[in-house]
Amino acid sequence: MTDIWLGLFSGIAFGFVIQRIGATDAHRMARSHLMLDADIPRFMVLTVALSAVGLFGLQSVGVGRTLPLPTSIVATGLAAVIFGIGWGLTGYCPGTTWAAAGEGRMDAVFALLGGLAGTALFAQLHETLIPILYDPTNVGQITLTDLFGNYAAAVSVLAVGFGLCTWGIGKLWGSGERSVALGRGSDSGTSSGNAGKSG
Amino acid sequence: MEHKNKQRNPYWKWVPAAFALSGIIVFIFATYGPPASSSGFVSLLKGFFDWGAPEYAAAKAHYKAIPGPGSWLFAFVLGMAIGGFIAGRTSKEIPVRDMPPIWQKRFGNSRAKRYAATFFGGFLILFGSRLAGGCTLGLFISGSTQLAISGLYFGVVIFAVAMLTARLIFGKIAEKEEIQ
Repeated sequence: MTDIWLGLFSGIAFGFVIQRIGATDAHRMARSHLMLDADIPRFMVLTVALSAVGLFGLQSVGVGRTLPLPTSIVATGLAAVIFGIGWGLTGYCPGTTWAAAGEGRMDAVFALLGGLAGTALFAQLHETLIPILYDPTNVGQITLTDLFGNYAAAVSVLAVGFGLCTWGIGKLWGSGERSVALGRGSDSGTSSGNAGKSG
Repeated sequence: MEHKNKQRNPYWKWVPAAFALSGIIVFIFATYGPPASSSGFVSLLKGFFDWGAPEYAAAKAHYKAIPGPGSWLFAFVLGMAIGGFIAGRTSKEIPVRDMPPIWQKRFGNSRAKRYAATFFGGFLILFGSRLAGGCTLGLFISGSTQLAISGLYFGVVIFAVAMLTARLIFGKIAEKEEIQ
C-alpha cells in the first residue's frame, strides 16, 4: 500500500514538472526536434547528469534499488528506431502521454490508446520476438562502470560528458528568441521590426 | 519597442527544472527503484486481462513480468495524469491544445487526421519501448542515471531518429514560416 502512495505522489510531482517545462506540449517537442528550441533536450540531459550524481550519493550510503537493463545490440537499436519515428511524428513519449492526457490534450488521449494497442501487440508477440531479436545480441547489463572499472570515475565521466552536451545543445540549437533573429538574419535592416510581429 | 510584442516565455527555466526533476528521480530511486512509465501501460493491460481473460494473462511472459494496476508502476502513471491535470489547471499561460500549430500548418485542421496519427505514433512508441524494455524515462533517463549502456545507446538513437523524422515531416514548413 505504501508503494501505491509513493508511486502516486512521485507521479504527481513528475507530471507537474514536465508540464511546466513544456514536455507535454507536442508543438514545443516538435520545435525541439527541429533544433529550434534547446530547452527540453538540455533539460533532459542535465536531469540525467544530476540524477546520476544523486544516485551515486544514495548508493554510497547504501540507499536505493538499482536495476540496469541489459543491452541488446539489435533489439535495443531497432526498438529505438521504431520509438524515434513515433516520437518525431507525434511529439509524445510514453510518460508525457499520461501527463498531457491529464492536462486535457485530446491528441495525447489517442496516443495513449495507441500505446495500449502497441503494448498489447508486443505482449502477444513477446515469446516470438524476444528469442529472434533480443537474445542473440544481448550483451548483458553492462554499464560505464564496467568500461572504466570504477563507479566514481564512471559517474564523473557521465556527468562531465552530459554537462558538455548541454553546452553543445545550447550552441547547436537556437533558443526561442534567437531562432527568430537567425531566421531574419539575412535581412538585417528590417529584422528588428519584423521580429516584433512574429510573436 | 523591443518589449512591446514580445511574448513572455511561460515555461520554467531549464536549469531549475532539471534540478527539480532530478530531485524527484533520486527520491524515486531511494523509495522504490528505477522509475519507468511504459511499464504502466503493461500494468493496466494486465489488470484488464486478469479480469477478462485470466488464462491469457497468466500464460504470457510479458504480463507475468509486471505487476497489475495495484502497484507502484500504475500508480506512477496515474499520478502523472493527475500532475498534468493540476499543472494545466494552475497555469494560465501554457496553452493546452488538441493539435499542435505546427501540425495544423503542415496537415490542416482535421482532428481525425491528427488523432489517427497520434494513435499510430503512440502504437510505435509503446511497441518500441516494450521491445527495448523501457522508454524515454524507463530506459534513457533511468538507465543512463545508472550508467547503463542500454540507456545511453537507446537515448542517442531515439534523439537522432526523432530529429530526422521531425525534419522530414515538418522541416519544409518550419523553414518557410516562422513557427513559434
